[in-house]
Amino acid sequence: MSNKKSKKYLKYTLWVLAAGLLGYAIWMSVTNGEFLQFLITGISIGMVYALIALGFALIWKSSSVANLALGQIVLISSWFTYSMLVQAALPAYIAFPLVIIFAVFLGWCIERFALRPLIAQPILSLITVTLGIGYFIQGIVTFIWPWSVAGLPRLFPREVIHIGPAVISQEYLWVIGICLLVFVLLTLFFRYHRMGIAMRATADDQMAVQASGIPVTRVFSVSWMFACAVAAIGGVLISSIGGITQGLVETGLKSFSVVILGVLDSFVGCIVAGPVIGLAETMGGGYLTQYLWSGVKDIIPFVIIIIVMVIKPYGLFGETRIERI
Amino acid sequence: MSLPCGIRNYNYAQDMAIVRTRTQWGLLLALIAVVFTAPLYFGNYWLGVFNLIGITLIAAVGLNILVGYCGQLSIGHAGFIAVGAYTSAVLTNRFEMPFLVGFLAAGLVSGLIGIVFGLPSVRVKGFYLAITTVAAQFIIIWVINHWGLTGGFTGISVPYASIGGFVFRSKTSQFFLIAGVAVLTIFLAKNLARTRVGRAFIAIRDNDLAAQVMGVNLLYYKLLAFFIGCFFAGIAGSLLAHCYYLNLNGEMFSFTDSILYIGMIIIGGLGTSLGPIMGVVLIRLLQQVLLPIYLVPFLESSFKNLPSGFATGVTPMLFGLVIVLFLILEPRGLAHRWALFKSAYRLWPFSY
Repeated sequence: MSNKKSKKYLKYTLWVLAAGLLGYAIWMSVTNGEFLQFLITGISIGMVYALIALGFALIWKSSSVANLALGQIVLISSWFTYSMLVQAALPAYIAFPLVIIFAVFLGWCIERFALRPLIAQPILSLITVTLGIGYFIQGIVTFIWPWSVAGLPRLFPREVIHIGPAVISQEYLWVIGICLLVFVLLTLFFRYHRMGIAMRATADDQMAVQASGIPVTRVFSVSWMFACAVAAIGGVLISSIGGITQGLVETGLKSFSVVILGVLDSFVGCIVAGPVIGLAETMGGGYLTQYLWSGVKDIIPFVIIIIVMVIKPYGLFGETRIERI
Repeated sequence: MSLPCGIRNYNYAQDMAIVRTRTQWGLLLALIAVVFTAPLYFGNYWLGVFNLIGITLIAAVGLNILVGYCGQLSIGHAGFIAVGAYTSAVLTNRFEMPFLVGFLAAGLVSGLIGIVFGLPSVRVKGFYLAITTVAAQFIIIWVINHWGLTGGFTGISVPYASIGGFVFRSKTSQFFLIAGVAVLTIFLAKNLARTRVGRAFIAIRDNDLAAQVMGVNLLYYKLLAFFIGCFFAGIAGSLLAHCYYLNLNGEMFSFTDSILYIGMIIIGGLGTSLGPIMGVVLIRLLQQVLLPIYLVPFLESSFKNLPSGFATGVTPMLFGLVIVLFLILEPRGLAHRWALFKSAYRLWPFSY
């Protein structure tokens, strides 16, 4: 009883805290241009993290496979985009569909040839096999594109815009917009499309789905395709701003903090936790660097992972369906 | 364990022994003799490769205790090796402590850091724990790259290992040091698996809930597994610093190395004492000898029209492929194949 009560108070406190933070953020962004800049950058980076994390959640939800190869999938699809746009010099309206097709094909291959034979294996194998896949993809990337850094052509107009006291590069707003669009499209797909409903059902109860005649393996396949496509979109967005580097693998790994902070299998969790991580990263990078060592930005997501693990291991939106040890 | 025909046990001591028959004793002694006389037959290049194999073996045996026996997946092993390497380097370089102090301190500090990052294992498992160790890897390397004491990006130079005035400067002397520690480590790990602690680890791996119900203290044993695993990692790191690299920077302990360590023990066979040895020898020989000396020059010379440097991608590609194939085709690793071969050989030609 007292436990329940304390939980209720915790909830209220969290709400009050959130409201206070929001008020503070509004106040600061009206008065302080730098703050607003960090805010927009953070949210857009966080949206990309959320997209990549969504790719993770899709697979986890349908087949309980933890995909640690996401970073490398992001990396290879960014390089593929580079090939299409720069090396083959295709126009964007041909190149981007090709990138999506490539990502979907990649997802299909991974599921068909590596994960299908491992259905019903212990989780240790399922995690390590994705590590092996990631390693393999990294090798392919080095094999085909041995130079380690490249820049994508600018996809979005670069003119800065002025909001109040802040000067903001337009591309961040574009990134936020595209991410939101993808989220809406996916939500609609899961709500109304046959396959989307089948995927939700599989997440809910695999046995029942199989009993009612839905091909579960195809659901797995489709969820891998979607995951790779979504991760590819995230990768293209983030590398159009920051260029293509090996750091993209780390971006993929950072997005796991979104997965951990949200909950493993929740869409809403991803969408809320993504910007939180992005904000923490840019704000921390902006304001903490002078007190700590440089590059503190890069490990904030990892520190968040550790903190969440110790305090509330099943995420902010964690259900109580916890496998207690 | 199945024994050759006609060998019987007359008391418990015989039943418990690791080495049973005269042939086994003979083979074991012969193997140890071959290992310790290796500098007689091999040149400096090969000794360098063997040194790396020995050091990796120590780390892999530690990882095998953590992952193979206790079932706690750690993908940050290179980070813990880095902790050991830097502890030992900082103690000997900045504070001018003797090598042995640095060596032991490396193990202890690494083990303690392992306990810190292993704490979430008390509440979570599987994927969550894996991610925590990934985070540990990145945080450790970041701290190493930015802390003044560890030399940051410029790195830190490390003196040669020395015990009581004797400096391990030649590859041969380093080989004896590393081989000695490695043999000791393997012996310890083999016996650890047979003790109360080892059985508790295996119980936790197979079903932690059941283990808890049976009275195995989960908190204690999980953290102990992290401590032991990371202790070996730290010792390996210290040897790596003093006998192999001699000049450290954070790049040497990358995330891909962590994946490779996991790959090694999977290829060898999780939860066996033979597994890490087979996996480490196979992977390191591939990585240090076959690929750079034979395959990469061959590829570079036969495909001249591809962009230069492409062949460095062959290594991760091959290892990734090997890990995936082993998981699909032989998840129990080379050690299992070896056991199958042994039993088939023992029963031949009447294989039933």
